[in-house]
Amino acid sequence: MALASGAATAATTDVLPSLWSVSGFGTAGLVHANTDTADFSNSVLKGSGAGASGRWSGAVDSRLGVQLDVALLPQWSAVLQVVSEQQYNNSYRPRVEWANLKYQVTPDVTLRVGRVSLPVFMAAEHRKVGYVYSEVRQPVEVSGGVPITSSDGADLSWRWHTGQLRHTTRVQYGRTEMGLSEGISLRARGIMAASHSIDVGSFSARASVIGAKVSVNFADPLFDGLRQFGPAGMALADRYAVDSKRFSLVALGMEYDPGTWFVHAEGGRQRSQSVLGTNVGLALGAGYRWRDFTPYVGYATVHAQTETRTSGLALAGLPPQLAGTGAALNAGLNQLLMTLPEQSTLSIGTRWDAYENIAVKLQFERVTPHGNSRGTLINPQPGFVSDRAINVTSMTLDFVF
Amino acid sequence: MNLSIRSLFTALVLFAGAMSDASAAELVVIVSARSTAPALRNDQVAAIFLGQAAQLPDGANVTAIDQQVGSDVRDEFYVRVAAKSPALLKAYWSKLLFTGRGQPPREAGGNAAVKKLVADTPGLIGYIERSALDATVRPVLVLH
Repeated sequence: MALASGAATAATTDVLPSLWSVSGFGTAGLVHANTDTADFSNSVLKGSGAGASGRWSGAVDSRLGVQLDVALLPQWSAVLQVVSEQQYNNSYRPRVEWANLKYQVTPDVTLRVGRVSLPVFMAAEHRKVGYVYSEVRQPVEVSGGVPITSSDGADLSWRWHTGQLRHTTRVQYGRTEMGLSEGISLRARGIMAASHSIDVGSFSARASVIGAKVSVNFADPLFDGLRQFGPAGMALADRYAVDSKRFSLVALGMEYDPGTWFVHAEGGRQRSQSVLGTNVGLALGAGYRWRDFTPYVGYATVHAQTETRTSGLALAGLPPQLAGTGAALNAGLNQLLMTLPEQSTLSIGTRWDAYENIAVKLQFERVTPHGNSRGTLINPQPGFVSDRAINVTSMTLDFVF
Repeated sequence: MNLSIRSLFTALVLFAGAMSDASAAELVVIVSARSTAPALRNDQVAAIFLGQAAQLPDGANVTAIDQQVGSDVRDEFYVRVAAKSPALLKAYWSKLLFTGRGQPPREAGGNAAVKKLVADTPGLIGYIERSALDATVRPVLVLH
């Protein structure tokens, strides 16, 4: 009897939320790419990858994240998440991914203030936590183009239901600034986002829209140079500079996962009147769960809807020295336009739930940039040509604690 | 002789019953005997235990109490109610935890502890083996 009541007392204490808890996630990954004219990576904001910088790379998927959750009062809680992974300047300096204060207005309405996640794609918020999905990484064709995962501001989330359909509606407002390297940063102002998710049985879907004014000062010397070339040069600079340019994204994703197998599909269109251009991306995936193994296949493609080439400044009739400068600027501008992604990827792989909280994955991909674009590849070298398939092999070990 | 054959037969039946109980014990989802919660469907119970719903269909607030990680009763419960293996469930909660959208239910150790907690607190919902059911709690769903 004494034993039973002791156990019950211990259990009662368990029901109260603990004051604070520390948890974390991470990936140890190694990627091989059979090319030496560009790097394969998972985001345009990475410093290096597998390929030109070395056939093997640990930088593509490796990362470590630590999260502190604090329960303050019954309705108030706070979260701090810090992630270390390779950045644009090759450093692994930890970055504050999320830091916000959450107020549970009602059991179904939540208000968060601070640095909160951006609900861009279905997997956008948890794409850094490899353990939660089957594939090695989220398809770069769809998620790689929007490297922003958080915004400083507030969001309001409301859960409701109609019959057996569960809905979650979320609206968000904020801004963000990411230092990329010395003096270069990515800024997004007036970020307005809304998303709506539905869940019914094993089916879930999410639609989201995001708008923002985006600035990236990575090619200022080029645009300053163009502006020296009269009205034509100014027009080119105004058209392509990423200087407080409106950016918008619309995405729709769905997933069916009855437990023993899954399929998912997601598509998105992003628009910007700048060198970032307009593109549509689509990703499909399917897998089967057999004991501790989840073999899967995937296909992803991204297509630029704006020109990946420009004739640039008209050089005819210019004095030789100016024509030389003009030609260099034209080349620089075309180099930038090559970053507009045109690419498709076929992938096959398997996840192995090797141990509690640990998943091992092996994935083969055939990545093909098309039509003068370098696709989602980074660090292109002289001699890079489009339309040549690259074989990428990835091995990862994902863990949570 | 006749009697001993009969008792042997009875023992065999009981043994077979015990075997099938061990592989697929009936689980019951329970609330306090004092609770007015209505009977629930599979998907409604899944939504509560997966942190997707915080209220019963009648609007009353509800909090889930889980069995311990690694226990057979817990693994069985999530396979039946949400078609999730232990690894899938871990992945699911990792997703919610690391996107700041929720934490898994608190755990209590074993049928007796879950039953005691649920019996004492009308706002709680738990699950236990049917064999542990008594009048202090009321089943709202039986999982065969």
